[in-house]
Amino acid sequence: MNNPHNSHRLALRVAAIATLFVVAPQTSAETIVIKSAQVHTGTGAVVQDGMVVITDGSITAVGANLSVPAGATVIDVQGGSVTPGLIDANAAIEASDLMITPKRTASSVLHDVFCVKHSDKPIAGCCGSMCSRALQHVDGEDCRECGFPNTAPNLAVGVRRHGSLAEQSSEVIPHTRVIDSVNLRSPDFERLLSGGVTTVFVSADPAAVLTSQGAIVRTGGPMADRIVREADAVKAVMGSDPFLRGPRNTRPFRQYVDFHARRPTTRMGVTWVFRKALYDTQRHGQGLPVGGADTPSVPAMKTLSKMLTGEVPLRIQARMQRDILSALRLAKEFDLRFVLEEGTEAHRCTDELRAADVPVIYGPMYITPAGYRNSTELDGARLHTMRALVDAGIETALTANDLRDEDGLARQAMYALRHGVPLDAVMRSITQTPAKLLRVDDRVGTLEPGKQADVVVWSDGPFEATSKPLVVLINGRIVLDKRTG
Amino acid sequence: MEKGVNMRSMWPLLTGSLLCAASVFGAPPAKVALEGGRIIPVVGDDISKGTVLIEHGKITAVGKHVEVPYDAMVVDVSGKVIFPGMIDTHSARGMDIRNENLPVTPFLDVYDALDPSRLYFEDALRDGITSIHAIVANNCVIGSLSRVIHPIGLTPDEMTLQAPVALKLSVAPKRRSDRMVQMATLRETFLELADYLENLAETKYEESLEKEDKKIDVGPEEARKRGKPLIKFEDYDDAHRNLIKLTRGELGAFIYCGIAGDVGRAVKLAKDNGFFGRSTLVLGDACFKAVSEIKEAGRPVVLDPDLLYRERDPITGDIKETFIPKVFADAGVAFSLLPYPNNSLAERYLNYQAARCVRNGVDRKTALESITINPAKALGVGDRIGSIEVGKVANLVVFSGDPLDFESWVDMVYINGIRAYERKDDVRLKQLFGDEPAEVTEGEAPEDEKKKGAEADDKPADDADGKGEAPAETPSDKANETGTDG
Repeated sequence: MNNPHNSHRLALRVAAIATLFVVAPQTSAETIVIKSAQVHTGTGAVVQDGMVVITDGSITAVGANLSVPAGATVIDVQGGSVTPGLIDANAAIEASDLMITPKRTASSVLHDVFCVKHSDKPIAGCCGSMCSRALQHVDGEDCRECGFPNTAPNLAVGVRRHGSLAEQSSEVIPHTRVIDSVNLRSPDFERLLSGGVTTVFVSADPAAVLTSQGAIVRTGGPMADRIVREADAVKAVMGSDPFLRGPRNTRPFRQYVDFHARRPTTRMGVTWVFRKALYDTQRHGQGLPVGGADTPSVPAMKTLSKMLTGEVPLRIQARMQRDILSALRLAKEFDLRFVLEEGTEAHRCTDELRAADVPVIYGPMYITPAGYRNSTELDGARLHTMRALVDAGIETALTANDLRDEDGLARQAMYALRHGVPLDAVMRSITQTPAKLLRVDDRVGTLEPGKQADVVVWSDGPFEATSKPLVVLINGRIVLDKRTG
Repeated sequence: MEKGVNMRSMWPLLTGSLLCAASVFGAPPAKVALEGGRIIPVVGDDISKGTVLIEHGKITAVGKHVEVPYDAMVVDVSGKVIFPGMIDTHSARGMDIRNENLPVTPFLDVYDALDPSRLYFEDALRDGITSIHAIVANNCVIGSLSRVIHPIGLTPDEMTLQAPVALKLSVAPKRRSDRMVQMATLRETFLELADYLENLAETKYEESLEKEDKKIDVGPEEARKRGKPLIKFEDYDDAHRNLIKLTRGELGAFIYCGIAGDVGRAVKLAKDNGFFGRSTLVLGDACFKAVSEIKEAGRPVVLDPDLLYRERDPITGDIKETFIPKVFADAGVAFSLLPYPNNSLAERYLNYQAARCVRNGVDRKTALESITINPAKALGVGDRIGSIEVGKVANLVVFSGDPLDFESWVDMVYINGIRAYERKDDVRLKQLFGDEPAEVTEGEAPEDEKKKGAEADDKPADDADGKGEAPAETPSDKANETGTDG
């Protein structure tokens, strides 16, 4: 992997220098042709025995019965399929370098901090037990090796990873940018790439009420091309995430909330922080004085005023029905457009969502009823949520958030198929729709002439249990090739 | 809202009725013919549009043209797939506790810990698992006796297919222990056993002399030699009886190895104490590194449910991934897969674990064997379960499609020829799909709930999967019946 990367990078640097003198650096016009039994264009359409022609990093033709241009490199995987590069519109990226496997229990936090999986040295597992496989401590189950009972419940609340993208300095921090924390060399991006995901919206962790601006980045390719948009939507959080204590909130282990770390403690408080921030922003814009305990900083208000005018997009994370309804109420109050994130109980308010014309980035689907997220927000999780959203005609994207591998984005699509969502809707929900919600649909999201060539070649039908990405192209460059095992 | 709460409190009843459907509806039909499905017998070639005939709980005919007796209940499964009931080769989930605190407990039996009302058993049916090897977890030195059970039945006796099956041992350290102590304890146990046998022989010889009012007349060596033939099996005490059976090869041994280095220790322990020929290796995920050693041992292996092994180079930080079953498949070692509940939505399904193997280059046949016949062989019941063959116990799963396709659902499960599960009656699954129970749509249901019910009825295109089956009658009927029973 490294060598081609380096050469790409070198080539790019040369190209970058070249741009100083030439307007369009026409490097060797490389043409790649991908042949497949099924070409899913991302719009829901499928071209049987189709072909994708890529020239200079852009798609020039998609269809059946096309002629192969002379001198083209042909990628032909028999029996496989081709899709656009998948897009995760709400990815949580491991910000630290400690990441191996995001797991879902308290012990995994300790694990992430203290050890590498399966190190021979025993490490402190749950509650200080000495177990060589703390990572195996799964919710509701004792450790498979040492049988240590899983008894550290409160820590598990809302925990994803350590080394998170959760800025804690204030409840209103929309002026901070996730991109400043993201490590583009994080192995997490490699894992996303090997799962066929080529573009992600890196979402801040839901630790503050009005939290950082996310970034749109690509998971592979030359480093200079990786960042698509540095500062995109501001994320707001409804529900219990901002007020629940946990390691994610960088509270010292087992410490209680005190005066020095006072935060909203109920949903009422969370909603108030949101309302007060926007109210103050409006007053500040009118030159009126603002004040009080939760007054946002001036830079924060600057970003928020852009948000109020629609210049900076807003997305709101809400899981339970009541939180979704709170989000809708707030949006109406301040005349805001927003995208709903997670929407675990979205099936309970499809009418309201449709009436307000709110798109949903639904997901991830995970084991129910127990999970690694706040369990009280999970009880309403149902298997048909995505189907209900699609049936109601709500624009729905699917996300895997922090989950990878067997819960990754392609597998989320697999779950959606199993739970009754039609293939074309599933396909759109991880390609075209997220591209549109991220406003990058002029460049990626579908296989159409003129778009950038972000393409995934699968070993089987795209979301079959027996299928995996064999070749991934970003901008017409092969960034992952597993054809030789 | 109140109604909803009521329904929730009734779930246990409803699902209970699901579990004991057989007892609720009286004696099951003695003869059942599953007609028209694609049969994947695992052993041998697939049969398209074939028939499986079940008589008195056994499979009596399999094939394309089977003469169905006039009194058989014919079940049309055309368009579906008949697959052998899958086997969970190593599970402590049906018990109240996974491991004892005591390190050496060969005198215990999982029989005493099995809890037939566990939701796990209901889940097993839903996932197409028809046989479970109930065995203690890996946190032990010598664990307890295990048994193969079916996930239906009201008592452990009713559930049991085969018992006892094996004794659990672990060469990986028990919690708060280390490998030296672990191995020392194991060796000590078997040394103590030898010591016990010698003392017992001496005592028996002494007792035989006492009967004749004689005093011991020979040295201890000779006394032990003379006493040995006098020992009967009943003379062994509880603490040693199972160990003696183990060393005589009358019991299987499931030996847990945590890391690659444990494999050699496990093999040596088994060879030294005479149970190598009956041992099965339960492997932790790092054990694939000892694959050549495992191949040489030639014993059945059970793989860690976490099929992907990830390690990080401590210096460069590079992460290396190994798909474990592929390593064993390439080496030609027959393996059994385990489900991995709680890790993801998919890994709890054994057929999904097999599909992952196919995805990563294991051939389909090996993958299917690793969830059916291989576990059966490892458990010593390869002649009774694990494939669709004449003479075997009728443990069958009817999938709505190919078992390796994740869109396929378990539609029906037959255990001992009894229909133990049917998806259209699965109340809990329906609930997760948002189907409101029948009562709510009646009478004074709140407006919005009514609407939801109507939506659920309107939902199209589910009938092929059986999801859209009228939700109304069945659950309430069942609830009533269970109510009168209780």
